Amino acid sequence: MNPTYTRLEIVRMLRNPRFLIFAFFFPVLLFLLQANVFVTGSGPEKASAVAVIMVNMIAFGAVFAAMNNGARLAVERAAGWQRQLRLTPLSGRGYMFGKGLTGMLLALPVVVAIPLLAVIAEGVRLDGGEWTRIILGIWVGAVPFVLLGLLIGQLVTPDTLQPVNMGVSLAMGFLGGLWIPVDAMPGWLQTVSPFLPSYWLTQIGRGAVTTDLTRSLGLSVAVLAAWAIVLGALVVWRYRKDSARA
Amino acid sequence: MSNTSTPPAVALGGLRKHYGDVAAVDGIDLEIRPGEVVALLGPNGAGKSTAIDMILGLTTPDAGSVAVFGRSPAEAVREGAIGAMLQNGTLLDDLTVAETVRLVASLHRKPIPVERALRRAGCEDLAARRANRLSGGQAQRVRFAIALVSDPALLVLDEPTAAMDPATRRDFWKAMYEDTAGGRTVLFATHYLEEAEEYADRVVLMNGGRIAADGTVAEVRAVAGGRTIRAAVPGADAAALLALPAVTACELRDGRARIATADSDATLRALLAAHPGARDIEIAAAGLESAFLSLISD
Repeated sequence: MNPTYTRLEIVRMLRNPRFLIFAFFFPVLLFLLQANVFVTGSGPEKASAVAVIMVNMIAFGAVFAAMNNGARLAVERAAGWQRQLRLTPLSGRGYMFGKGLTGMLLALPVVVAIPLLAVIAEGVRLDGGEWTRIILGIWVGAVPFVLLGLLIGQLVTPDTLQPVNMGVSLAMGFLGGLWIPVDAMPGWLQTVSPFLPSYWLTQIGRGAVTTDLTRSLGLSVAVLAAWAIVLGALVVWRYRKDSARA
Repeated sequence: MSNTSTPPAVALGGLRKHYGDVAAVDGIDLEIRPGEVVALLGPNGAGKSTAIDMILGLTTPDAGSVAVFGRSPAEAVREGAIGAMLQNGTLLDDLTVAETVRLVASLHRKPIPVERALRRAGCEDLAARRANRLSGGQAQRVRFAIALVSDPALLVLDEPTAAMDPATRRDFWKAMYEDTAGGRTVLFATHYLEEAEEYADRVVLMNGGRIAADGTVAEVRAVAGGRTIRAAVPGADAAALLALPAVTACELRDGRARIATADSDATLRALLAAHPGARDIEIAAAGLESAFLSLISD
């Protein structure tokens, strides 16, 4: 990818108030709110409860950034911008790759900001390995969600974008355990949750902060990798279908 | 002659594209030489946009061949040889005009400086503005700058002035005209006849997915309407006038003749040779409009 193109793609996203609100400020504020209003107790006990919430909110921010990024694909497709780009040497593959890369870069601020706040304002203390697992793990774990965003962006029109994105976000957030930590879930939800990839994204970080209701890192990585492969294949399939129709 | 040395800018052979039962483009052959400015004229649904999409490689033909400078459209696009203004294209609301043109420039291999593209398209004063703050005409000029930024050898404009008022339209064509003085090949689709008459070297008239006429503005006029010669011809007789070269109809009243001709030059020469006393001669073009109407009503 050329740096000018990537930079301007990021500039576009940062100028978009919707993105800043939903994929950055909202998860950050929700983290501070949950950490200060719903967590009782003090000292190390509180810090460890806050750490669990932190993991969930990082995952939430990363998922929303990825979904927002993909939504823009639908808008660009409908507006004829994709046709305009097809008159440049940028290949369709390059375009999708660029959008994927932007999605990953846009997930980064929230993935870094929430841990910083957790350390500075909430007194969360973890070792280097645990931080690496949480920050790097959740960021890389966002790959299937970026792909899901791209797939939705290729499938929907700007009119159907809102409800589809809302539905997927609700499923990921509520059923997948981003908003309600697995500890607070009713039994039936604990059964349903593992069918959603967002459950596994929180599990990547969860093991670093608690031993309650955790799955092994290896299993979490494997499940997310499987999601990434399936969604990646669907993105490629849809892209080929789009090009063939032309 | 030129076929052996330089390939044509555009070469279409037996080009076809169907959408369901509708033949949008129904077998067209067309060769555009480098440096020509060609107007693609036709009513809505004539197949202009579909033909253009195939030249640009945005649409795959069902049958036939497309070559741009002897290469496939995809290759020509990769090399930055084609610049285009598409119909109904929008710009990005979250970038300024200069940023948008820079973004497209960054994707091309040998772009011209962004400032130069903006200046050539007459929109350097809009550089800092966001796309959602542009009028229809301004947006078109920005899209013209996008089309120019790769310094393309072939410029394709699909109804570029559709959203413009007459004054803006004139400015646009002035910018286009100055730009093509350097020998750029231009193909533009329009349904404004006066744009074709004024700015094109050659007119290709499409109707029902086929080429109905192809030639200089004068030739296309002649195909359908031709011209009318009016003159006072003392002592003339109608049958003799009708027998003059290229005459298609003749009326004679009180020694004044009204002669319809497909080739006014040839007719006039013969008329003056046979009737040296002919005077008050007027020649009127039938106008592209009547040519257009007579061709598309067939």
